[in-house]
Amino acid sequence: MKRATDEAITLDDAYWERLMAATDGAIAPCFQCGVCTAACPWGLLQDEPANVRQILRRAQLGIPESDGAIWWCATCRACEVMCPRGVPIAEVMLTLRNLAWQDGAVPKGLSSVLWSLHWDGNPWRRPPSQREAWTKGAEVKPFEPTDEILYYVGCTPSYDNRSQKVARALAGVLNAAGVSFGTLGEREPCCGDAAYGLGQHDYLRQIIAANVKLFAEAGVGTLVAVSPHCYDMFLNHYPRENGLQPLHYTQYLAQLIDEERLRFQEPLEAKVTFHDACYLGRRNDVYDPPRQVLAAIPGVTLVEMPRNREDALCCGGGGGRMWMETAAEERFANLRVADAAETGADILATACPHCIACLEDSLKLAGSPMRVMDVAEVAAAALGIGRSAQ
Amino acid sequence: MPGLHTIVCLKVVPKSEEVSVDPETRTLDRGNARSEINGQDMNALEAALDLKDTYGGRITILSMGPPFFEPFLRLGLAMGADAAYLMSDRAFGGADTLATSYTLAAGIKAIGGCDLVLCGEESSDGATAQVPPGIAEWLDLPQITYVSRVQVMKKARLLRARRQLQSGYEMVETLLPCVLSVKLGINEPRFLDFQRWEWAMEEAPVTVWTAADLGLDEGYLGLPGSPTAVSSVGAAPSAQRRGEFLSGTPQEEAQQLLERIRPLVRLS
Amino acid sequence: MLLGGDVQPLAAEAIACGADTVILAEHPLLEPYTTDPQTKVMAGLVLEHKPDMLLLGATPNGRDLAGRLAVRLRTGLTADCTDLTIDEKSGLLVGEVTGFGQGILATIECPRHRPQMATVRPGVFTRPQPDPSRQGDVRLVPVELSEADQRVRVLRRSTSKGVDITQAERLVVGGRGVQGDFALLRKLARLMGADVGASRVAVDQGWVGHDRMIGQTGSITRPKLAIVCGVSGATQFTVGIQDAETVVAINSDREAPIFETADYCIVDDVFQVLAPLIDALEREKAGKKG
Ligand SMILES: Cc1cc2nc3c(=O)[nH]c(=O)nc-3n(C[C@H](O)[C@H](O)[C@H](O)COP(=O)(O)OP(=O)(O)OC[C@H]3O[C@@H](n4cnc5c(N)ncnc54)[C@H](O)[C@@H]3O)c2cc1C
Ligand SMILES: Cc1cc2nc3c(=O)[nH]c(=O)nc-3n(C[C@H](O)[C@H](O)[C@H](O)COP(=O)(O)OP(=O)(O)OC[C@H]3O[C@@H](n4cnc5c(N)ncnc54)[C@H](O)[C@@H]3O)c2cc1C
Ligand code: SF4
Ligand code: SF4
Repeated sequence: MKRATDEAITLDDAYWERLMAATDGAIAPCFQCGVCTAACPWGLLQDEPANVRQILRRAQLGIPESDGAIWWCATCRACEVMCPRGVPIAEVMLTLRNLAWQDGAVPKGLSSVLWSLHWDGNPWRRPPSQREAWTKGAEVKPFEPTDEILYYVGCTPSYDNRSQKVARALAGVLNAAGVSFGTLGEREPCCGDAAYGLGQHDYLRQIIAANVKLFAEAGVGTLVAVSPHCYDMFLNHYPRENGLQPLHYTQYLAQLIDEERLRFQEPLEAKVTFHDACYLGRRNDVYDPPRQVLAAIPGVTLVEMPRNREDALCCGGGGGRMWMETAAEERFANLRVADAAETGADILATACPHCIACLEDSLKLAGSPMRVMDVAEVAAAALGIGRSAQ
Repeated sequence: MPGLHTIVCLKVVPKSEEVSVDPETRTLDRGNARSEINGQDMNALEAALDLKDTYGGRITILSMGPPFFEPFLRLGLAMGADAAYLMSDRAFGGADTLATSYTLAAGIKAIGGCDLVLCGEESSDGATAQVPPGIAEWLDLPQITYVSRVQVMKKARLLRARRQLQSGYEMVETLLPCVLSVKLGINEPRFLDFQRWEWAMEEAPVTVWTAADLGLDEGYLGLPGSPTAVSSVGAAPSAQRRGEFLSGTPQEEAQQLLERIRPLVRLS
Repeated sequence: MLLGGDVQPLAAEAIACGADTVILAEHPLLEPYTTDPQTKVMAGLVLEHKPDMLLLGATPNGRDLAGRLAVRLRTGLTADCTDLTIDEKSGLLVGEVTGFGQGILATIECPRHRPQMATVRPGVFTRPQPDPSRQGDVRLVPVELSEADQRVRVLRRSTSKGVDITQAERLVVGGRGVQGDFALLRKLARLMGADVGASRVAVDQGWVGHDRMIGQTGSITRPKLAIVCGVSGATQFTVGIQDAETVVAINSDREAPIFETADYCIVDDVFQVLAPLIDALEREKAGKKG
């Protein structure tokens, strides 16, 4: 395919000015070394992968993207950890998407996701009245300011029938540790990750403003999120002056283990490998807590995949890719499932609803006997929770 | 030649799954129901925006309903419509489709007419699909219902549409102006344009009209002007998924299934 | 009343099915259906015969016509009835209708205006057994129409639908559980006038084309009936089918989540169930023709 930089191009000054204002000069330091292109997982899967360096170049010159390359990015930041110039590449991609929203040049299907956020408060087109369906009738009490934590379930664990199991497992583990917690029930808002990942920054600002108010009114302090995406939103995109203390649940469970409030006595004989979710690991340096939880379970043998921690391969579900189709042979998760299978693990553990969906889906195509489990599910299984309930 | 002037009839509806029937009074309880713009009407608005992108012109939103509709009409302005009119008066309350279509047609006349009226196929609450043909009759304009695609030949003032029928479709043609009703899901409504947000939410005027403002014939307004009367309401037994398990040999299961889905199957 | 281009052959059938009088209105402009000529002719007949009630089928064209006719006659119209009764005391026609996404039932009357109009949802009343020996009165009425009465022209009609599963009224859907064998599903689809859809895994495997994929990253569909075979029911799939009116799930695993979003559930091997279903439909079809 012929790229626009090889052609006679017309520079669009107005676009360039908007772009500079929107990226706040973040692309200026890029000196076009191409390390990012080499680091991007798309290179492993597509014959002619998105050329990250070239996207940056075009951005520097103010040439609008037209071939849809900016929508491929899974915001995994594999490129950023390698970039010698510290360019926030994933954020640049999202900014380019934001400009595309402003210009009405957005791939099919994405407006519907945002309308779903608008009308229903979740990206899954499910009614708000069913937000508590994940409990399957189990008693989960409404949050009160005197509770130790707010259990923030999030949209995918609330509605996705696979991730609902994770939400139930985690509630069971929290109960077993004697934590006083509650949820916001039907009032629980979407954190805004879908708007963020799709680059709809203007809408995201509204979501955040509304949620800050709601959390303040509800008296939320420590918030424990199931999904790393929600955790990342609250930690890095919300104002902090209201005393909001976001934690990912693996951090909180590790803390409970340290405090000896959470103890695993029965052994769970299994070989487990842990897949780092990008929004936990590379984004927020949360590498150890999930491993600590798994290691605290007697009988669990933890094995690492060759690509782990900073080098972990993305599942492909970040940056709004959950709402975009990827051809069957081009899914990051295919490679990740193969990585895991090579370790000989029985369980491919992770701690993110999007990773679970992508990995499980690729596992179906691979036909491997390995199981994908969330760390919370492994913990619940070790505690004997839900053996009858689930 | 100026661009097209399109009027989109937009209704605000309660979220269906949040409406219930009070078992004692046997009346509808919409108290806790959240509202949304009727899905088909979003498709109608997107179709209008699409025509505006291609041929230029302007889009006017028209609605009949209580004052709380206003912020919803402003969402339409943020999507790209240019003006909005809300016909709001206690006298309009309880209108059936004869009265509703009369009132909306009067609104269209008061706006000064247009090249094209776009409606949804049906609303998610009343779901009669009778308002668009009604508007067309009151205005003596041609109508095309159940549209899944629209094309305009502006110079010739010709409109071509694809009508979705029970089996297959037909291509039809008429001269502008005319009234169209579009099927649910025929396009993807664009998301809000935040460059228009402040204007749409604060500055843009939403004109509110009462019956007196337009000098309407009271005989056709609201409940008194409606020939139909609702005699009872109740919850439908099939509101939720039935979740009925059929059992027996595969033959028996197939037979039971057929008995249940018989009315839905069209042998061809 | 039978309106069309050549409707005389239908008169005998209408009488055999229970009609006492058949009024035939024939004119080239009445075929194919367009709103204006039909409205004009039918309004004229109604004004002449002054019936108490006027019922039409709630098909797309029936509703198109009824909606316009009711305003021309300035009378009430009850939409898409699921049942019709006559109130014993008042003698009024009572139409049962649904609303709010089928969640609410209401009954509607038209006390003071005539005719009392209603459209009737196809399939809710069983078709009467024809009795060829029945006698009735057939009247062919003159029709006056000119080109000026027809403002909308039908350019062409097509029954080949192409693949647009978003507009399909009926769907037969296959997932990984059909193990590559879509032949029976296609056969069933053809028999009942349905389109074929699929889960992502089925599409990934290349069993059917991508344009048939249902779900979050596929298409959102709204059929009246969906028969879902060998699909586990992942949320990414069910978002594409949750607006269907009736969902049938066939899956060999009692625990499959698809059953939570289905109206009729069959725990069995999909092929074991589809074969007799197809047989029964084929027999019915043959019976109808014979
Ligand atoms: C359960 C139920 C059943 C009913 N059955 C009947 C019946 O059988 N007969 C009858 O006469 N009335 C009936 N009604 C009353 C009817 O719903 C109202 O008259 C309503 O104002 C218009 O009808 P609709 O919602 O069915 O519109 P539809 O004709 O289904 O709407 C089609 C399109 O018309 C436009 N439109 C409709 N209403 C408005 C509005 N207020 N403002 C702007 N645009 C609009 C929209 O574009 C909409 O998509 C019923 C109401 C309920 C709740
Ligand atoms: C980003 C992303 C987007 C996605 N988007 C979509 C989407 O748009 N649409 C979509 O469908 N999926 C989508 N998925 C995939 C989704 O998560 C599921 O993996 C997929 O829907 C499963 O397809 P399936 O039900 O056919 O296969 P499986 O989950 O493998 O289920 C097969 C089922 O068939 C049953 N079965 C087996 N043999 C028989 C038999 N002989 N008779 C009856 N039943 C039998 C089994 O019990 C099982 O329940 C997406 C996933 C991701 C990660
Ligand atoms: S790695 Fe960094 S400096 Fe090198 S091309 Fe990519 S963005 Fe530019
Ligand atoms: S963030 Fe990940 S997907 Fe996006 S460009 Fe960088 S490496 Fe590629």
